[in-house]
Amino acid sequence: MPVTAVAAGESLNRSIVIGREDPGDCLLHVVMAADSHLDLSVIVLPGASSRVNLRVDMEGPGAEAYISGIYLCPGAEEVSIRTDVNHKVPHCVSRQLFKGIAGGTAKTDFYGKIVVAQDAQKTEAYQENHNLLISDSARMDTRPQLEIYADDVKCSHGATVGRLNEDEQFYMRSRGIPESEAMTLQMLSFISPVIGHIPDIQTRENVSRIAEQAIRSFREV
Amino acid sequence: MDEKNILEDIARKEYEHGFVTDVEQEFIPKGLNEDIIRMISAKKEEPQWLLDFRLEAFRKWQKMKMPQWAHLDIPEIDFQDIIYYAAPKKDSDRPKEIDPELAETFEKLGIPLHERAALAGVAVDAVFDSVSVTTTFRQALADKGIIFCSFSEAVREHPDLVRRYLATVVPSGDNFYAALNSAVFSDGSFCYIPKGVRCPMELSSYFRINAKGTGQFERTLIVADEGSYVSYMEGCTAPMRDENQLHAAVVEIVVEKDAEVKYSTVQNWYPGDAQGRGGIFNFVTKRGICKGTGSHLSWTQVETGSAITWKYPSTILKGDNSSSEFYSVAVTNNFQQADTGTKMIHIGKNTRSRIVSKGISAGRSQNSYRGLVKMLPGADNARNFSQCDSLLIGDRCGAHTFPSIENANRTAVVEHEATTSKISEDQLFYCNQRGIGPEEAVGLIVNGYAREVLSKLPMEFAVEAQKLLQVSLEGSVG
Repeated sequence: MPVTAVAAGESLNRSIVIGREDPGDCLLHVVMAADSHLDLSVIVLPGASSRVNLRVDMEGPGAEAYISGIYLCPGAEEVSIRTDVNHKVPHCVSRQLFKGIAGGTAKTDFYGKIVVAQDAQKTEAYQENHNLLISDSARMDTRPQLEIYADDVKCSHGATVGRLNEDEQFYMRSRGIPESEAMTLQMLSFISPVIGHIPDIQTRENVSRIAEQAIRSFREV
Repeated sequence: MDEKNILEDIARKEYEHGFVTDVEQEFIPKGLNEDIIRMISAKKEEPQWLLDFRLEAFRKWQKMKMPQWAHLDIPEIDFQDIIYYAAPKKDSDRPKEIDPELAETFEKLGIPLHERAALAGVAVDAVFDSVSVTTTFRQALADKGIIFCSFSEAVREHPDLVRRYLATVVPSGDNFYAALNSAVFSDGSFCYIPKGVRCPMELSSYFRINAKGTGQFERTLIVADEGSYVSYMEGCTAPMRDENQLHAAVVEIVVEKDAEVKYSTVQNWYPGDAQGRGGIFNFVTKRGICKGTGSHLSWTQVETGSAITWKYPSTILKGDNSSSEFYSVAVTNNFQQADTGTKMIHIGKNTRSRIVSKGISAGRSQNSYRGLVKMLPGADNARNFSQCDSLLIGDRCGAHTFPSIENANRTAVVEHEATTSKISEDQLFYCNQRGIGPEEAVGLIVNGYAREVLSKLPMEFAVEAQKLLQVSLEGSVG
């Protein structure tokens, strides 16, 4: 795996889009020095079966990482996401947010691991993975993992696999919004926290446009 | 520092159930082979079908390997260096009476075997090494048609029932330790609640390892027929020794239509000393099946003992509208290791499950939660919620969470959340400031933290469990 180093005090922003045109795996290993900053997002679009493997090593105190992703799988895609966040030194913060939607016969698997080393005190590590399952033949697995060897830490993870909220749908439909549009709006709002966080305005607007197109392609719901 | 001295003192306090009872024991030779299994079976005067079952399991076991996936550091176990059967010799002059030394042992442990002295409303089956010593309140239960006896007795007196349900939930080749247990299991409890009967008292099994160099392999089978209810409790202790002893049990629970089973465990096997020498290896397979519609199974466990724990009480939710719960408090201190959790397999429609797990690690211990929630394609509208919290006390211990969620049904909803933190200094300060010492404050905070689980235990156990939590954590605050 190629290693990307973020030097002390530097920051790195990157958004990676994996689509039908340029499918393939995304393997990334980032090593963070003291007080460095990372903002990484990965968008997996419909039609792309891929393996996303992100590893972030916190090697200098004060490093901060925000890692996020969206995977949209309306067809027969097989997507696997793996993240490894290693807190090796004290006073680092990591936040992860991954959101997936699966329809058709898609299969998705999320595996997210956080390791906090023995002396990495005052670590804050958070991870969230939320999934929407919108077809009976699709399958979504999630395996968040916390391995913690230090005591003065704040760590949490949350994972859900569920369906679109019926109360919200009813609310919109009783106000004249057609069912399919209501669902599209729900899905858009579901992924918007990830998109909203992309720091660069240009990239954010681009990604937002592509993601909306992709969500409108979820037909069979 | 003053505080430190007090803590060290308490930390040196011994495991209070660590005594050895000096009774004449009967052993079979060390080692494991088909002859040994035949010998165990012959000693227990078992029918041919049960011997065949044991041998088949043994052949499967020989082809299996010890599981390595758990977050545990298990030293090599020499399965040929274990005595697979040990029984207190019966005094032939008084065959109807319990050996006074044994009665005293159980008395010391707080398990009175004489009915008049027994805790009102608890029937006990006491298992000492490989045999069941006595079962109390048998008559009162029999009047209602409830069968509660030792496993060996059930094989003799109710062979049809045993044969019908044995290994239906945990097949003999299920995993390495379940196969080993199926081959050499000695005694355990059997419990059958007939249709529509509500068991009038708590049933309880008490397991005690006494003999040196032995392993305990008990087997428990609980069957709750349609519309019945039972609450079952299990407790265990062992003497203090430098060697590691193996405990590999299998528990099977069958819950029929509209029946309800509550299974509670307070596990307090000898955990080893402060340097990590000795202690029990507790490798247990527990599984229940909610077979009929509307059935309910609830697991509650308080795990404070054992050098190494490998245990995942699970439920298969097969019947529509069935539900299951898992409440757990696992405490590890010194060099203890625990890898424990649950599996909820949703097959039926509208099945519900709830997992609440509280891990507490102190000293140099490692405490892991490992769980599986699986929604099969037919589990329409199934629902699961899991909450796993870990509390760290000291900077040399570890707390880990490894949940696995698999969902293949569009209408099923699974939620999992986990947090890890330490006891907040504000809480400690608050207590100290009001004159509550550091040790006591930690006890209070931990009990509050585990309250949600402790409140699910039957009354008799809840008191014991609260005390246990306090004792297990002694000396961990510094």
